[in-house]
Amino acid sequence: MNQDEKLNRIKDILLTDERAYTSAIEDKIKQLEAIVNERKKLSTKVDPIIDEKLDAFIKEIPETLGPTITEALKQEIKNSQDAVVEALFPILGQMIKRYIQHEMKMLSEKINTQLNNTFSFKRFFRKAKSKASGLSESDLILQEQSNPKIEQIILIEKGSGIVLAEFSKTKMADEDMVAGMLTAIKSFVEDAFTKEEQNLQYIEYDLYHIHLQNFPSFYVAVVVSGAYNIIYKDQLEDNILTFTSKHKIADLLDNKTLLTQKLEDHFKHE
Amino acid sequence: MSKAKKIVLIGHFGVGKTSLIRRFVENTFTKDYKVTIGVHISKKEVEITDEASITLVIWDLEGLDDISKIRTSYLLGTHGFIYVFDLSRPATYENLDTELQYLKNNYPNVPTKVVGNKMDLVNKAFIKQNSAIFDPHVDFFVSAKLGSRVETLFSKLAEALI
Repeated sequence: MNQDEKLNRIKDILLTDERAYTSAIEDKIKQLEAIVNERKKLSTKVDPIIDEKLDAFIKEIPETLGPTITEALKQEIKNSQDAVVEALFPILGQMIKRYIQHEMKMLSEKINTQLNNTFSFKRFFRKAKSKASGLSESDLILQEQSNPKIEQIILIEKGSGIVLAEFSKTKMADEDMVAGMLTAIKSFVEDAFTKEEQNLQYIEYDLYHIHLQNFPSFYVAVVVSGAYNIIYKDQLEDNILTFTSKHKIADLLDNKTLLTQKLEDHFKHE
Repeated sequence: MSKAKKIVLIGHFGVGKTSLIRRFVENTFTKDYKVTIGVHISKKEVEITDEASITLVIWDLEGLDDISKIRTSYLLGTHGFIYVFDLSRPATYENLDTELQYLKNNYPNVPTKVVGNKMDLVNKAFIKQNSAIFDPHVDFFVSAKLGSRVETLFSKLAEALI
């Protein structure tokens, strides 16, 4: 055994463990490299599939989970109504506040426009009226804005509730159904109060006032928007009396077309 | 402009007056029974001929076991009656004679159609067995559930009103 062989022999004896350890580390590094490379390879293949699935899932959510979520929400709202009210109250309050502010702004602009309209005849008359009545011009304009307005007028046969004639500026409701229901309500109320011969004269519905005026064989129902007050009621009663006597309405009850024409001619500017 | 006529449906409670009207006006039927309180009004235009049509304003009154107890103000100005009874409940037609006589006495010139409803719950043999009760009065056997003869009933009444 020469010197080199002896040296190698000593190296083998002394470094065997380290070599095994180094080779184990090399193996581990190779494995890790393989995993990393494999993942890269894998992700290039898998990622598009996952993306596609995710897109499909997002698209399908309204159909698959939608009803379940809606049902769960409904149930939750039903079970915790107080909490929902608590949560919505400030939002609704804000919305209403904003709406009212907007409407007030519109009204204010409208009043300003009318006040600034210096060439208007209306303004001239309003100024005169303001001086005479002692009311400010703004008050008079506000009064004009809330003036009562006839929205629909129906002549109804007593008892049967059949429509004899109808005129409306904006179609409020089906006149036959309204006439039938008004007649039923009238019949019920008038039947219930049997003490005296009395007639139902007025019904309030949301923002509308229904003025009822009775004649021997028919009655007139007028749907009014705006401020319906005792002065307007008197004027309206007089107006309806004038209409019925001037056109001899009692003689025209069988002629719906003519009656409707006369009703429109008389009330279209009211 | 088609002429409007007031039609009133009367009869005991639960005989299917509202169902008949819903079948005629909306062509729908529901098994859920909701009691009519007071009056419910519906309307439908019926073509009698190519040129003539009529608007039926239909008053659906709450059911009462005795028609003489109906508020007379509800019946004022009626152009046509439909008296409805339930073929599956004898209590609703056992006083047919008296009830119809009451109508004849108080509203002599008003056309009336007498209708046995819920035909789907009985068979033809049953009708034959009870012909002594039904034949003198009944104009139509109908089923609001199946819709059979409902349209004909209202059309025939509309024709009688012209």
